[in-house]
Amino acid sequence: MYRYDTLDKEFLADRALEFRQQVARRLAGEITEDQFKPIRLMNGLYLQLHAYMLRIAIPYGTLTSTKLRKLAYIARTYDKGYGHFTTRTNLQLHWIKLKDAPEILDHLAEVEMHSMQTSGNVIRNITADPYAGATADELDDPRVWSEAIRQWSTLHPEFSFLPRKFKIAVTAAAKDRAATRIYDIGLAMRRGRDGELGFEVMVGGGLGRTPYLAATIREFLPTRHLLSYLEAILRVYNRHGRRDNIWKARIKVLVASLGAEEFARQVEEEWGKSDHSRVDLPDHELARIRASFAGTFETLPAASETLEARKAADPAFARFLRRNVHPHKAPGYAIVDISLKEPGETPGDITSEQMEVVADLGQRYSQDEIRVNYQQNLLLPHVKLEDLPAVYDALAAARLATPNIDLVSDIIACPGLDYCALANARAIPVAQQIAERFADPALAEEVGELRVKISGCINACGHHHVGNIGILGVDKKGEEFYQVTLGGSGEGDAALGQMLGPALPAAKVAEAVEQIVGVYLRERKDDERFLDTYRRTGVAPFKEAVYAEAH
Amino acid sequence: MKALTGNRLTDGEVVFWKAGAWVERFADADLFDDAAAAEAAEADAKAQRTVVVDPYLIDLVESSGLWAPLSFRERVRALGPTNHPHHGKQAEGGSAIEALQNAAGAARSSGRVKLIKR
Amino acid sequence: MPKLIKLHQGQASLANDRFTQVADEEPLPGGDVIISLTRFQAEGDRLLSEGRAVGVRVEAGEEIEGLVYDLPRVAVVALAFPKFRDGRHYTNARLLRERFDYRGEVRAVGDVLREQAMFMVRCGFDAFEPADDSGPDEWLAATRRFTHVYQRAADTREPAFVARAE
Ligand code: HEM
Ligand code: SF4
Repeated sequence: MYRYDTLDKEFLADRALEFRQQVARRLAGEITEDQFKPIRLMNGLYLQLHAYMLRIAIPYGTLTSTKLRKLAYIARTYDKGYGHFTTRTNLQLHWIKLKDAPEILDHLAEVEMHSMQTSGNVIRNITADPYAGATADELDDPRVWSEAIRQWSTLHPEFSFLPRKFKIAVTAAAKDRAATRIYDIGLAMRRGRDGELGFEVMVGGGLGRTPYLAATIREFLPTRHLLSYLEAILRVYNRHGRRDNIWKARIKVLVASLGAEEFARQVEEEWGKSDHSRVDLPDHELARIRASFAGTFETLPAASETLEARKAADPAFARFLRRNVHPHKAPGYAIVDISLKEPGETPGDITSEQMEVVADLGQRYSQDEIRVNYQQNLLLPHVKLEDLPAVYDALAAARLATPNIDLVSDIIACPGLDYCALANARAIPVAQQIAERFADPALAEEVGELRVKISGCINACGHHHVGNIGILGVDKKGEEFYQVTLGGSGEGDAALGQMLGPALPAAKVAEAVEQIVGVYLRERKDDERFLDTYRRTGVAPFKEAVYAEAH
Repeated sequence: MKALTGNRLTDGEVVFWKAGAWVERFADADLFDDAAAAEAAEADAKAQRTVVVDPYLIDLVESSGLWAPLSFRERVRALGPTNHPHHGKQAEGGSAIEALQNAAGAARSSGRVKLIKR
Repeated sequence: MPKLIKLHQGQASLANDRFTQVADEEPLPGGDVIISLTRFQAEGDRLLSEGRAVGVRVEAGEEIEGLVYDLPRVAVVALAFPKFRDGRHYTNARLLRERFDYRGEVRAVGDVLREQAMFMVRCGFDAFEPADDSGPDEWLAATRRFTHVYQRAADTREPAFVARAE
């Protein structure tokens, strides 16, 4: 875990003071709302339907128990005792008062946290593989590079007024758990012929109104040149990205209009002219960052008798192991997924009490590390097998042991019209209705891997374009309607979903999902996932089932 | 019929115009059946730059003998989020809140901001 | 007449502007002038031969490369911000300083607010015409708000990764 040194801490203190003075100027009427709005957004503070919303950055989704306890404290003291994890692995608090915001930033700074660059047309919080440092299939720890990018992008003088927001995701593993193709830049580590490590650089992904999957502009970039190459990409974008139309300002539009090849040529040309040594981190700095992420693991037997005994005796525990527990690189350890998707609850929401339970478990059983992933769930990356029963019991007591990871009830949903000023329709109640239909864990497991993703408007914060079942809220003359897409995927086999048919009224959506699942169960062969069956059969049988009555 | 609404600068609370000042309950708001009076109030409200952010007029519809915002979005603002019935103004309960909850009728919200620049 | 703040050796002060900024459709006055890139390309040689100092105003959408050949003869490059959110000139300023080695004045004009001060200074601007009410003191304070920086730019500030190694 990266720890701030004096320099990082002084930087944050300067930032918190700057914001305190800016808020005072606004409250005193020295600056107008028009002037203040970009300033508060640069600090992650939005005005939503009911109050201000603060978006707190969780760089590459990594938390310690101290940080999580502080978040619990802030949510309890300044909000209504809960928070919402987002697909960018940030935490959003929905009931914040402007006059409290400076104090909250001071609290965050105490634990090396902030809300900078969680909004605005800047390089946003970096996301990374949530299994970093814990999975056997990675070439390197992606957090080393994510931290390097975090520092380089912090108040970057050239790139703080980009045409539009800019999101970067990093993975160093074979399996893409960071959805690298749907971001402005996706970085996936590869090993070169001579054994050297480098990144495949993907540019121009993004969801929103016109979704694109990123194109590879360089197959192999030696890792040591990461920052200078990013600087070249950002420079080409900053100069040539469109600024006349907010809907065409993302880098995806520039890459699509130039073509990936021409865009790559311009980046290479710019990179060729720049002095890399001024931008790329020197070895000693990389080594310093790397040292902070080095984990040490005990030598343990690969199996645990305590665990096996409990597994044999307790089917609910066995199911939790099947769904929520994943192999770790070190024998005798496991990665534990904590679902924030208990059927009936708001996806991604967590109470202060639950945060404290997870913080305690992380401290006691997971080397003081807690992760957030883009599925709006948490995980404990380094749990000993023999501790799993205790961890499970504590989670279950806090209603955090729902065994539904990647299942139909593990739904991604944005805040929608219950909170968001931009929404067309609600997303949360739709998620709740669907999850309740599959609340029986045996049924959900029988259905298997199926990712449902819901957004309350075309901005696609809920990733609906890449949901196996995607649901988009639209406004039809003031009524909530929902457009359903099928076959999207955000990971290794990334694809955008295809439209099922005309938008459905709110009351029909959960039923439609049930019908779609029914078709899948009828059509599936062997152990096909929903996505495999869909890709084989196409949209027709699903369409028929959902729109049958309308014929 | 119209009402005038906005969010209070210091805490973001949803507020409604009443005789030159702001109240938290929709039930206490001034109702305008005269377009000119409504627009005059809106202009006054816009001048209160250190009190309220981006005030705007909303359309109303009759519900259970009372008035309620016509757009669903504005009813959510006047009540609170539907996933947490005890959060926001709805927590108070009572007949005025129920009238809002039971209101039907729909329209695109006139207050839907163009785009929150992020 | 907009106020002009100049930054010199770490000090900010109000300066008298010896240049007249001339729009394309206006007739040219005598003395030192700042004119558009287009006008400079048409009339620059003549004006320079008259012995006056000439500055060039570059719009956000114009390619700074168009000026490279003439840079040694240009006294001021005025980079015009149509909106403070338009960030193209940060790149242009860095290119002027770091790639084309320009040593003359780089001036920020247009929608220039003190909130941008630190970014501008780091990218190589050394003269400013703020559109808000900030004076030299506020401007200087804004450039000094952060004790540390994380990356190299066109200024001489030491990035964190260098400071840490010392
Ligand atoms: C509630 C306040 C929020 C506002 C005002 C907001 C606004 C927006 C806007 C305007 C866009 C489209 C940007 C564009 O295409 O240029 C967008 C996209 C996105 N937002 Fe949000 N959003 C909010 C909450 C969230 C939440 C809760 C999440 C995570 C659950 C999130 C994650 C994303 C993602 C992942 C995208 C689409 C991917 C992309 O193209 O970058 N945002 N949001
Ligand atoms: S998708 Fe739309 S409704 Fe949902 S959070 Fe994003 S902007 Fe709001």
